[in-house]
Amino acid sequence: MTGDYKFDTLSLHAGFTPDERHGSAAVPIHQTTSYVFKNSEHAAALYNLEIGGHLYSRISNPTVAVLEQRVAALDEGIGAVATSSGMAALFVTVLALCSAGDHIVSSSQMYGANINLFQHTLSRYGITTTFVAPNDPEAFAEAIQPNTKMVFGEVIGNPGLDIMDITRVGKIANDAGVPLVIDATFNTPYLLKPLKNGANIVIHSLTKWMGGHGVALGGIVVDGGNFDWGQNDRFPTLTESHFGFQGVNLYEEFGPAAFINRVRTEGMYNVGPCLSPTNAFHLMQGIETLSLRMDRHIENTKKMLAFLSSHESISWIKHPTLPEHPDYEVAKRLMPKGAGSVIACGLKGGREAGQSFIESVQVASHLANVGDAKTLVIHPGSTTQSHLSPEAMKAAGLTDDMLRISVGLEDFDDLKSDFEQALKRASKARS
Amino acid sequence: MKININNEVIFASTGGRAFEIKGHPLWFIHGSGQSHLSFILQGRFFANRGWPVISADMPSHGLSSGAPLATIEAMSDWQIALMDELGIEKVQIIGHSQGGLIGLDMAYRYPDRVSQLSLVATALSIPVNSNLIEMAKNKEQSAIDAMIDWGHGPEGHNHDNTMPGQNHLNFGVQLMAANKLGALHADLKACVDYTNGHIAADNISCPSQIIIAQKDKMTPMKFGLKAAEALNTNNITVIENAGHMLPSEHPEEVNRALRTFFTKS
Ligand SMILES: Cc1ncc(COP(=O)(O)O)c(C=O)c1O
Repeated sequence: MTGDYKFDTLSLHAGFTPDERHGSAAVPIHQTTSYVFKNSEHAAALYNLEIGGHLYSRISNPTVAVLEQRVAALDEGIGAVATSSGMAALFVTVLALCSAGDHIVSSSQMYGANINLFQHTLSRYGITTTFVAPNDPEAFAEAIQPNTKMVFGEVIGNPGLDIMDITRVGKIANDAGVPLVIDATFNTPYLLKPLKNGANIVIHSLTKWMGGHGVALGGIVVDGGNFDWGQNDRFPTLTESHFGFQGVNLYEEFGPAAFINRVRTEGMYNVGPCLSPTNAFHLMQGIETLSLRMDRHIENTKKMLAFLSSHESISWIKHPTLPEHPDYEVAKRLMPKGAGSVIACGLKGGREAGQSFIESVQVASHLANVGDAKTLVIHPGSTTQSHLSPEAMKAAGLTDDMLRISVGLEDFDDLKSDFEQALKRASKARS
Repeated sequence: MKININNEVIFASTGGRAFEIKGHPLWFIHGSGQSHLSFILQGRFFANRGWPVISADMPSHGLSSGAPLATIEAMSDWQIALMDELGIEKVQIIGHSQGGLIGLDMAYRYPDRVSQLSLVATALSIPVNSNLIEMAKNKEQSAIDAMIDWGHGPEGHNHDNTMPGQNHLNFGVQLMAANKLGALHADLKACVDYTNGHIAADNISCPSQIIIAQKDKMTPMKFGLKAAEALNTNNITVIENAGHMLPSEHPEEVNRALRTFFTKS
């Protein structure tokens, strides 16, 4: 550590200096597309990456920059670029590293859109992916090819909640000369800092626990600066002449910051999935209380696990903090504070019971999101995945009876009563 | 660009523009355990304004190979060898911290190779704490963390940055960690062992400039002022609220001060 401020202090302060003229204590929302140049020399200097500052909000914005600097500080990265959504963060990361003919090794248990991007979108552009089980590190080693540009996964895999041992997979990837990129949405830097545990790049959907209030979409890419892009000739997008900025060689000119500069100078310039300053403001409001909320998420998750474990209507329950979870030990080592607040469980009575439960909850909300301050429930079998055949469900790690609960911050007594009455109705539906 | 010197391949940044000798090139010299990446925003700024820029990684630093050099004098000799290799007769030196000691020594021992001297966050001697030297030898990562902590002022510690989204402290750590093991220890030891700063300053006749970081904990302001006195210069700029790593933390103020002093062919 660099004698740095501690996590809670950084959550509130990092990245922001009140401006001298107005002294606003809160981060101002710079709702502007563009910035007045002081003179032509100033404009040219901004375009040449010679000086700091903003020229157009697709590329950077003062409010968004505070969010980027704050999350970079929390994750102990060397820099960050915020995006309009978590999906956009993944896309600009791939864009910075991969070209047609390249290859990705990825966990097979991930958020559906992450899988779809690799399987169905990138494949159309000549980028192929090998999927392997997240909790089988050796499988990652075997899948890496000479054209592999990144190894990817979620620490807490969605929806099966399998844990990727990022320390081991990180070493395997780095030994093969490939960076480990982690979607840290489910853990947040409060539960685990992937960059300090084997990863080289982190992305977040800020929409979830980081923002925490379900009011704004956003994503971010954080660069650990801990991968040597010049160690082999795998990464020409970083070690050869860039198409802009007089052909700058990002690796030579920016060293450890080559990747994050590529994200901004290509992803934001040429694709443009920028975060709105107003959303950045909302997300920062959430981040101010990240640790308080996460502690409460974890506390309520423990109570929920105890409640569900002893409930007669529940046939199985999965969470990485339960000793019977296959990755219990890995989860405990990587995330001693807790392994997130999403629970998967099976409801006796299959699809009908699931549907009845979901329609009966009153405090919990039935919707397709996770990581809100409020408790969210979904029954994938009768909603998001209802079009899938039983075989396809199984391949995706889903079963007909599965409920997914994203445990919120409500008073647990109220959550418990709500679940009790909904489980009672569900059991009537099955009998 | 890559250059072969003393049978080793070394790297020198040219600020992102092709290098061409015109007048006296700007010659940046990095500090202990640093690399050309200390001067990203100086190199690019001046290269894009038509100055020829060289910012070399010393052996074992940045992208340069070779064993680390053990004394300030050996480092000056190496810089001169690099000038010879590039066919450069005279340079305008910008030395940061240890790079300032090298600049002093070059201007003293090779007076006809140095046209002017800008000393940034430096002193006539740098008596590095012996605990830090020990740490650099046995626990390099802790030494790096300590230097990055002491080296940054309020802006760095608050994770604010003139470059949107970037982080000074964590970048500083990775910059230093990317050097070869042993480079930092050799540098710190060379600093402690260098005692000729006063003699050098008394004998230097080229114009000189001192840029001081007001909140510098590594080479405190009073040592910068003493260097100015010994060099008999009144070209002194104090940058408020800045820490030792001011070229990255306060690039615009540093560039402004340098620009008033540099001469163009
Ligand atoms: C693990 C994970 N990654 C990425 C995403 C995508 O984030 P966003 O909806 O912000 O694009 C989500 C959720 O939607 C997610 O759960």
